[in-house]
Formats: sequence, C-alpha cells, structure tokens
Amino acid sequence: MKESVDISVDFAGLKLSNPVFTASGTCGYADELTDFMDINRLGGFITKSITEKPRKGNPVPRIVETDSGMLNAIGLANIGLDKFVEEKLPLLEEFSPAVFVNVAGETIREYSAVVERLAGEKAIAGFELNISCPNVAKGGISFGTDPAQVSKITSAIKKSAGEKVLMVKLSPAVTDISVIARAAVDNGADALSMINTFTAMVIDIETDKPVLANRTGGLSGPAIKPIAVYLVNKVYNEVTKNTGIPILGLGGIRTALDAVEFIIAGASAVAVGTSNFIEPDCAVKIVNGIRNFCVRKNIANIKDLVGSIKEE
Amino acid sequence: MTAFSDNKNRLVAIKKGMQKRYSENKGVFLAVVCSNKPIAGTFYRLGLELSAEGAEAFAKTQPGQFAELDLRNAAVPPINSIPEELADASSRDILLRRPFSFCDVKTQDDKTLVDILYCVLGPATLRMTTLSAGDSVSVIGPLGNGFGVPKNKKTALLVAGGMGTPPLLHLTKVLTTDYADIKVIAFAGAKTQQELLFETELAESAASKIELYTATDDGSEGFKGLVTNLLEQWFGNEKTLSAEDMVIYSCGPEVMLAKVAQIAKENKVDCQLSMERRMACGIGLCQSCAVECKVDDSDETVYKLCCKDGPVFDSKEVVFSS
Repeated sequence: MKESVDISVDFAGLKLSNPVFTASGTCGYADELTDFMDINRLGGFITKSITEKPRKGNPVPRIVETDSGMLNAIGLANIGLDKFVEEKLPLLEEFSPAVFVNVAGETIREYSAVVERLAGEKAIAGFELNISCPNVAKGGISFGTDPAQVSKITSAIKKSAGEKVLMVKLSPAVTDISVIARAAVDNGADALSMINTFTAMVIDIETDKPVLANRTGGLSGPAIKPIAVYLVNKVYNEVTKNTGIPILGLGGIRTALDAVEFIIAGASAVAVGTSNFIEPDCAVKIVNGIRNFCVRKNIANIKDLVGSIKEE
Repeated sequence: MTAFSDNKNRLVAIKKGMQKRYSENKGVFLAVVCSNKPIAGTFYRLGLELSAEGAEAFAKTQPGQFAELDLRNAAVPPINSIPEELADASSRDILLRRPFSFCDVKTQDDKTLVDILYCVLGPATLRMTTLSAGDSVSVIGPLGNGFGVPKNKKTALLVAGGMGTPPLLHLTKVLTTDYADIKVIAFAGAKTQQELLFETELAESAASKIELYTATDDGSEGFKGLVTNLLEQWFGNEKTLSAEDMVIYSCGPEVMLAKVAQIAKENKVDCQLSMERRMACGIGLCQSCAVECKVDDSDETVYKLCCKDGPVFDSKEVVFSS
C-alpha cells in the first residue's frame, strides 16, 4: 500500500490540487459556503450563473423533491455582472481552487459581454458556458440542443475568453450528446462539463396543476447519476478520449465512490451539486474519500483512473 | 438584523472565517434526541440536546430562527402503524433536509436543549416519529433572522395560526422572561380545540403573564372562525393604546399572514411576519425560497430569500400573491 497518492489533476492546463469542484447553482458565489467548509480544499469552484443584467428569477414554488432527486426552476436568478464584479470577485480572489464563472444569456452578445468583462480578471481561471439551463424562456437550453448553435456560440465565446479556459456545459436533453460535444470541441471548447439537469415535471393531483410555477424544472440528484455516468462515458469514448479535452463529470454525486465511478467512466474531474444542499461540506469529504480510495486500490496517481473502465 | 452591516465588513469577516474554517454563529452539528412524544392528533413534540460543538451556537437562537434536520437515516414506522393516508408517503425516499423552527430553547449548565413541534404530513415527518431517546440527528443552524424587539414597545400582539404556532411559543417565553415591561396579548387559531397547540404547549410560567384569545374553525374552543377576525375585533374595541407602542408578531398560513399585514397597515402598527417557503438547503445556496418584496415605496419588487433575509420580514415589504 502506498502511503501517499497524487490526486492532483491537470485540467485543461490548470493545475488543480484535486479533481473535486462544486457545481454551478449549488454553491452560490462561495460566501454562503464559507460558514460550513474550507473552500480552499476544493479543486475547483463554479459560480452561480452570471448574466449581463441582474435577473429576478422565477416565481415560487421553485423546487419540489422527487424520488431520489429534486426539480428546480430558479430561472437564473442572479445579481448581474456589475454587482458580481464589485461584491463577489474580491472574495473569489482569495481562493486557491480554480474559479470558473458560469455564464448565461439570451443572446450570444449577452454571453460575450459577461466573458469579455471578466476575461482579464486574475481571480478567474475560466468560464463555464451555460447552454443547457432548462428553466428560462430564451437562451439557455435552446443554444445547447442544436449543433449549429453550439458551434456558433462556442467559437464566438472562445474569442471573448482570451487566455481563460472555456468549458461548455452540456444538456442531456438531446438525441445524441456526442454530436453536441463534438460541435463544442471542434469550435474551441477547452473542456466539457456534463451533464446539466433533465427537464421534468411534477403534477399536483389534487389541483391538477404543475407543482412548479414554471411548470417544468430541471431534475437533479442521485436519480440521474447512472444516466450521467453513461453519457460521460459515451462522450469520452466517442469524442474526447484522443483529444486531451477533459470532461468535468456531474449528476447526482453524493459520495467519493460516486465520484470515482465518473472518473472511471472518463471524467478527469467531478462536480458536486445537489448534495451541497444536504451536506454543505460534502465536497471536502469527497476529496478525502477519493484519496482513501486511491490508497486502498494502490493507485499512485489519479490520472491512471481516468477512463479506466474495462470493456469486457 | 443581519450580522454584517456593509459589504466591506462582511468580506473581512468572511476572510477571517476562512482561516478559522467555521462560523461561530451557525454550522452543521449533531444533536441527540431526548424525547419524542405525540401531543394531539398528528402533532408531536421532539426534544433535542445539541452536541458540545453546537451548544454555544444554538444557545443564542432567536425566536423565529430555524434549523434544517437531516432525516434520511430515520426509519419508516412498521407497516401496521402507518395510517392509510400516509401509505404513499411511507413508500417515498427523502433526499433534502427539512426546516423547523423551535417552540423552546433552553440552556442548562453548558447544555443547549431545543424543542420542535411538528405535524406528521409526509415522508420526512413520518420518519421523524420513529426517532427515540439517544438517537443522533444532524442539524444545520441556527439559521435566518428571527423576530426582533423594537425599542419602546409596550404591547406585543402575537397571532399564531396552526403550524405557525411554535416560533410564537418561543417568542412568548422570551418576551415574558426578558421584557417584563412589554405586555403580551396572544391570538391563537387552529382547526379544532385539539390542535390549539399554543394553549396546550404554553409553559405555565408564561401562561399566567399573558392575555390569550383563541379561535377554532369548528368552534370547539373560543371564537368560532378565523383568528384574524378576533384580531380585528380586538382592534375595534381597543381605544386606549397608542399604535406606536404596539408591535404585531405573526406566523401561520400565508393567507392569514396577508390578512394580519392588512390589519397592521389599517391600524398603523409595526408588524413582523414569519414566512414559509419550500427550501432545498436553508443556507442561501439553492435560491428556491424566494419571497417577493417591495423596494422601498416604489412599484419595483425583488425576490429576497426566506432562509437568509427572513424567515421574519416586515409586513410592509412583503408582496402577497393574492
């Protein structure tokens, strides 16, 4: 048994102390989480979506619990670019994890405005392009389900992003996710994060109305994990394996063993989402759990685990 | 009422917190069950003792603050003791924590004991009934902003509706213990006499110090009708007290809170409402517990978060949907 293992990762040129991120929309702008954990023990941190102008978000109810999961339809509620720069960036500068800003908008111009404003900020390692939010009327998922649109927005934002890493977040609500992944990779994506939530609905049978004010919401949590693992593995095999483009795997991760499963499927790093709501320090526990797993399995370097799935 | 008055101080405090890792005011703690008893109908009272790590933070809990309980590990009751109407709930897994306010918070030596009143409604509260003395539960808290006591108030009017009762019981205790010069007048409403928890769960020491009016939907005790009708009647008869000496505190169904807000406005009395929302986290991460609030006196509104900006709001700022 090895006493020390190396769980640091190279993620699209970024040197991360470990492969664990917290996922956008589940960890605020970091200040909310600092009461509960040491953010500096994360490999990466992804902010809540930022849009050019502030957004109020959807009316309530915005969430409903489902079997082993939950639906949310927050509607990209956020403080907007200016306030983010003024109030949140100074804190993010203090952190050692790679900070990604999740960027959303209704038009390519709006995405571009956010990315251009932030591309020179040293607090930020990269951008996560949100083309997969199912809960807004315009933009969001409508970009992410059409390969031509994915090509267009990725190449446009790649120019705005300058030296920063551009990660594209994929929606699972497509016929063939590899087609979308390829469109992103061929047009300059430095990394892929997958997957965003599944569009879903819960109906109140007493009132015959959808529970969520937005009618539909995005399904997240343990319920979606096996689908996410499958899709990560599919894109790894069909698109990224020989390109060096890393995948950030997410969807229902609760424990270190869930995280390891994604890594074996082909993810270079993982993100913890819904579980932050239940155990706000679970990402740190997952970092420790991954290390323990490597020690137990005699894996000297976590890189050896990426895509190590055996096919027979 | 927030801990940080401006953003700069907040940043400094957060950076300090990063070095120390945890906030002194709240956190994830274990609590041990002391007791868990049915009170009436589907209502239960759960007593918890905070672990040593959480005792100090929870000792400072203000009435109206809440905690998020992780009930995933609590067992479903045996099949023969599940009522027909909860058969569906008993077959559901739970994922998220559930928020609860407290009806009492006590300190004994260096221990902190908190009591929760709950109603068995779904899969989480059904599991809660099987917790027994010695079991451990993970709690996050204390969370949110509780009721505040403005200066120079002489009369506190408490309006409790149904499951909105617990934080007002806690408030009654604090007011009668720490604010001897404030007179407490409570208006408690419920569907039936059996569910009038304000009356049955009120500590004797507090009961003798307050004036209590009750209302039930079926007239099985007190006034037959809505508790807000009682409050309106009271204002109709009250001619001696000055509006600025009074403050209203209320918690209950939203339609009741909207009525209380209206009565407060008509009588020009300050009013604090404890709002309820679906929450995934309770700590400002999920953004699901939005409460629509007016921006100053304009027509503009913003969504505030029930968990962080509330759950207690000034009645003048809340926009009610109906």
